[in-house]
Amino acid sequence: MQSNIQRIEVTPRVGGGLRDVRGDTIKSQLKTDHNLEITEVRSILGYQINQELSKDQLTKVVDELFTDPVIEIGCFNSSILDNKNAFTDTPEAVITVGFKPGVTDNRASAALDGFTTIFPDLGKDVKISTSISYVFFGLGDVDLNWLSDQLHNSLIEIALIADSNDCAIGDWPEIQFPELKDIEYAAPSTIDLNVSDEELIEISEKGLLALNLEEMKAIQQNYLDKDVQARRKELGLPPDKPTDVELECLAQSWSEHCKHKIFAARINHVDTETGENSVIDSLFKTYIMQPALDMQQEVNWLLSLFHDNSGVIEWTPEWSLCMKAETHNSPSALDPFGGAMTGIVGVNRDILGTGLGARPIANTDVFCFGPPDYDDHLPEGLFHPSRVMRGVHAGVRAGGNESGIPTVNGAIVFDERYIGKPLVYCGTVGILPRHLPDGRESHIKTPEPGNLIYMVGGRVGSDGIHGATFSSLELTDESPSSAVQIGDPITQKKMVDMLLEARDLGYIEVITDNGAGGLSSSIGEMAELTGGANLDLSKVPLKQLGLSPWEILVSESQERMTVGVDEKNKQAFEELAKLHEVEATIVGEFTNSGTFLVNYGNDVVADLPIEYLHDGCPQLNLESEWTPPIHKSIIFKEKTSPEEMGNILQRLIARPNIASKEWWVRSYDHEVIGQSVIKPFGGVNHDAPGDAAVIAPIPGETKGTVISCGIVPRYSDIDAYAMAAASVDEAVRNAVCVGVDLSRIAGLDNFCWPDPVQSKKTPDGRFKLAQLVRANRALEDVCRAYSLPCISGKDSMKNDATLDGEKISVPPTLLFSLMGNHEDVRKAISSDFKNTGDAIYLVGETKQELGASELAYMLQEETEGVSGIGGNVPSIDPERNLSVYKALTKAMHAGLVESAHDCSDGGLSVTIAESCFGIDAGAKIDISSLDSFDDKLDSWGALFGESLGRIVVSINPKNIQAFEEIMVAVAHQNIGEVGNNDDLVIMKNDTKILTASITKLREAWKGTLDGGSAK
Amino acid sequence: MSVKVAILTGFGINCDRETAAVFEMAGATSERIHVNRLVNGEVNLQDYHIMAVPGGFSFGDHLGSGRLMGNRLRFGLREQVRQFVNDKKPIIGICNGFQVLVKMGLLPGDDDISFEQTASLTLNDSGHYEDRWVTLEFDDNSHCIWTKGLKRMRVPVRHGEGKFVTNDKKLLDKWDKSGQLVVRYVDPNQQYPSKSDELLPYPLSPNSSWRNIAGVCDPTGLVFGLMPHPEANHSTWLGATWTRENLDHGEGEGMAMFHNAVNYAKSQFSIND
Repeated sequence: MQSNIQRIEVTPRVGGGLRDVRGDTIKSQLKTDHNLEITEVRSILGYQINQELSKDQLTKVVDELFTDPVIEIGCFNSSILDNKNAFTDTPEAVITVGFKPGVTDNRASAALDGFTTIFPDLGKDVKISTSISYVFFGLGDVDLNWLSDQLHNSLIEIALIADSNDCAIGDWPEIQFPELKDIEYAAPSTIDLNVSDEELIEISEKGLLALNLEEMKAIQQNYLDKDVQARRKELGLPPDKPTDVELECLAQSWSEHCKHKIFAARINHVDTETGENSVIDSLFKTYIMQPALDMQQEVNWLLSLFHDNSGVIEWTPEWSLCMKAETHNSPSALDPFGGAMTGIVGVNRDILGTGLGARPIANTDVFCFGPPDYDDHLPEGLFHPSRVMRGVHAGVRAGGNESGIPTVNGAIVFDERYIGKPLVYCGTVGILPRHLPDGRESHIKTPEPGNLIYMVGGRVGSDGIHGATFSSLELTDESPSSAVQIGDPITQKKMVDMLLEARDLGYIEVITDNGAGGLSSSIGEMAELTGGANLDLSKVPLKQLGLSPWEILVSESQERMTVGVDEKNKQAFEELAKLHEVEATIVGEFTNSGTFLVNYGNDVVADLPIEYLHDGCPQLNLESEWTPPIHKSIIFKEKTSPEEMGNILQRLIARPNIASKEWWVRSYDHEVIGQSVIKPFGGVNHDAPGDAAVIAPIPGETKGTVISCGIVPRYSDIDAYAMAAASVDEAVRNAVCVGVDLSRIAGLDNFCWPDPVQSKKTPDGRFKLAQLVRANRALEDVCRAYSLPCISGKDSMKNDATLDGEKISVPPTLLFSLMGNHEDVRKAISSDFKNTGDAIYLVGETKQELGASELAYMLQEETEGVSGIGGNVPSIDPERNLSVYKALTKAMHAGLVESAHDCSDGGLSVTIAESCFGIDAGAKIDISSLDSFDDKLDSWGALFGESLGRIVVSINPKNIQAFEEIMVAVAHQNIGEVGNNDDLVIMKNDTKILTASITKLREAWKGTLDGGSAK
Repeated sequence: MSVKVAILTGFGINCDRETAAVFEMAGATSERIHVNRLVNGEVNLQDYHIMAVPGGFSFGDHLGSGRLMGNRLRFGLREQVRQFVNDKKPIIGICNGFQVLVKMGLLPGDDDISFEQTASLTLNDSGHYEDRWVTLEFDDNSHCIWTKGLKRMRVPVRHGEGKFVTNDKKLLDKWDKSGQLVVRYVDPNQQYPSKSDELLPYPLSPNSSWRNIAGVCDPTGLVFGLMPHPEANHSTWLGATWTRENLDHGEGEGMAMFHNAVNYAKSQFSIND
């Protein structure tokens, strides 16, 4: 036993109505995920305190802090496994998991806080660490090393195993206290860039700088400039070479992650189909920014675009809204829990860092994973998709729930190509008052030279160094563990509470978050507003002594904001921080000197001209070439009976992409803040899926906002133009279903692409870039047609994993998120059918469009590739769709629509089944008239095709005439009525073509992704 | 003068805004007050008529839900809270706030207000956190001032640790007799009254709480706590199935509880506004 370390163990009491639910959950998940039968799993929470404590003191902390006397048994400096009151039998195995040194341990931070409450005078140098032990009974023949691997992540945790022999003699695992040793301080060094091109590349690669040759040369050139050299001499910096601090700062600022170099590149685009050969000067400026700026000319509600952490729109005269979505893919591949949690709390900070500070009021989470039942070869170094899913979900759950921000909308998409890198999109909506009490408009930052720069929140450690540059590289076996972090929602929640109070008191002049690139990015970016900043890295509070200046500058340690405060508010700001128990430290000041001047104490360690830092990165030149891919056609079985058709629907609805996500979604709090109008699930049994969230953020007021999303990566296999168009249309359609005000909608584009830069590693880079070009063109075309500006967006362009020599690239994926106004939430519409006998209408046109449909992929899998996915991918006619949406919206506002549900994955038959779930009854449908828009439409296309622009609505018979009058100019077809029994019957030309039981469909739909509750 | 409500905030409490809002909607004046402002004496609890400990994840619930916040209050506000109850002023704890009041021993409590913990809220039998709507039924014999006249109410639960248990089962009978087991989960398809000690199946009872207990009060009926969130159903358009119902829009079912407390305070402290 280590000296001075006090060990405390706590286990739940069991029996008499009490259970060890933590153990039961592990047992149930091992059964669900691995079909492992274990008689019993018990759990023990361990704590170590590195402080001499008397017996009395120990008894006090065990009784009053660590153990709940009603439900737990605790002990100190002995093993609870030897306590016969807790464990009557000898276990077969015990696995104890603890953290590696330096990994965020939130339970330990809470314990330390609790310890300080009890012993306020002892707390100063006390450190606490935690562990958890799993105790197995009736384990059978299981490889304990394998089991231990399922229970911990060796990147951040260590696990110790006691096998049955150890257990028999009571030799229990004992984790060592994870002491974080101070590291040896390395003074700033300089890097000689007057070297060969090969050596420049080597410097970039070895240093994880992710800079290409041209960029390295641009840096090299800067230090040859005579004026630069003269100024450097004056400051005492090496005149002709960068310091490591400068090189790291440039690498962060110029990283793909921060600079979006591919979206800013000059692209030579060739289309072999049309003969086009053209040059595109920045995808971002051409297809995203320009359309939004044009739309800004037309309306008065687009308050802030493209220059802040998120875009801001006016919502009411008193309030504005902002929204941002981010991805956290690479960290989530390495540590799903920590990576995802960091993703959600990170995007929350983007909102807090918008304007003078916005309050996060809603989260959205969209994930792309490998199939949960994947049983093919898994390259070494990858987690099974089901484990990635559990981890990501748990991380987002903890991050969102503990922060008190409801998760209101999202999606989960499955595809084998996401096993290398999962996509973890986290979005947040924020609200901010139009004006602060002091009269300032809160979406405008107001920094002045002389403002003090505070770092607020968490401390800086070696966790999260090189996150931005790492995400700009593909995932390999050597990916650094320091890129992984675990969020600390409570530290952040305290900071959010404090900063919003400070905002309303008028203390904040400028605020931004410390995300990618750490202080180098946050201060570097804000310095642009005043024209300079001074930073003293020796003032920055550290988790770990000895960090080098460059590490402090680029560390991405979480839960930190950078805030500019006027000198006159210094004392009040610091007192407020103290009250909230939030650390706030002055680390520098804003200037108008024209440079970002960084000190470490008295030593100058970096001096970077602001203009060079932000605009010095050379533009990439890239090649793009489009040739449409060729796919095998879908093979349909001839003469399919109505029952077989019903079975096909049942298999389709059970596919992970369509199946109910209720088990997962319900463990997010979607109702905190008391604003949830349209929830993720509705209907008589609260299990029918909603289309979009509607929230009414101001208590008692009926004006609302709509939040929806669209994502259809499958279509990229045929054409990324169709993919992007369908994503935008789906987001809009979902919003229309709940009654959005189409005159005030705003979008977010989040691209996740495989590396589209042609190279030896990426021989198909030109094609992937052409896919990106096409997706961007669709984005512009559709957004302009819908008057839907993209107010924020983000791209992640290296979603490839090379492991075991295998490269796995994600399919080109665009997540389109939408935020829109809702004039009166009392008129919001839900997706569930309401009354037996209501007429069912399909609005919009149906075409024979089964290419890359969910059905096509199902048939491909079922025939082991004999059937293909080729065919017409859903095409878009946004003007036509918009007129349908507008007419339907009018009918909704007139109170004529009982339900509305979006037609997407799986087509019409799936949509109808889902609306049926909401009333717990079937429907009688007749699709005979559907082919009026496409004479090639067959039953497959009518039932399962995914044509865009379509919504299934139900209408009370008494309103049919009024409804028809409003819809007269747009496509709408009466296709049946809501039934009164369990049968779904679909007819065509007086013949039954599909019959199914709603109960059975529902069971299949709910069964696939039932996450496994403790039983 | 109006009824003044102290809404505690800080350290991960996160339902403070809507809890403040519902008291305002019920005609009171709410103030969100950081716990430390009460502990350091900057604000005096005795200046308020009602105290609410809202839901949230105080200190991340890492050492058991509500435990650390319970200790903060037990160590820092002990006498102020005791005085508050002795002054016949109502206290409510919702979700995490309920957990805090139970862990600090104020609920179900005793006549001496001794802050001895006699019950707990432990992990749901389902093993996971969950947001879903439930139906509650109230004990109409209870003297709890918060639930007077209430029969049933539909509200969401949003918790992972809501199973009410005790280490002495005899206490349950005692509390039942004294009207302290104020609110239970029930099956909405059963006729009122249907509350029962027999365990309801999941998810009618979302956590397998003993005797389907969703909330309890102290011997005085002034201090009340419950796991579900009445403040989340403050308006009709926030209900789980409101789009299926023919409603006159306005206040939601959850508001009755807050009206009760505000009306009680008005009459107890002769406040006319």
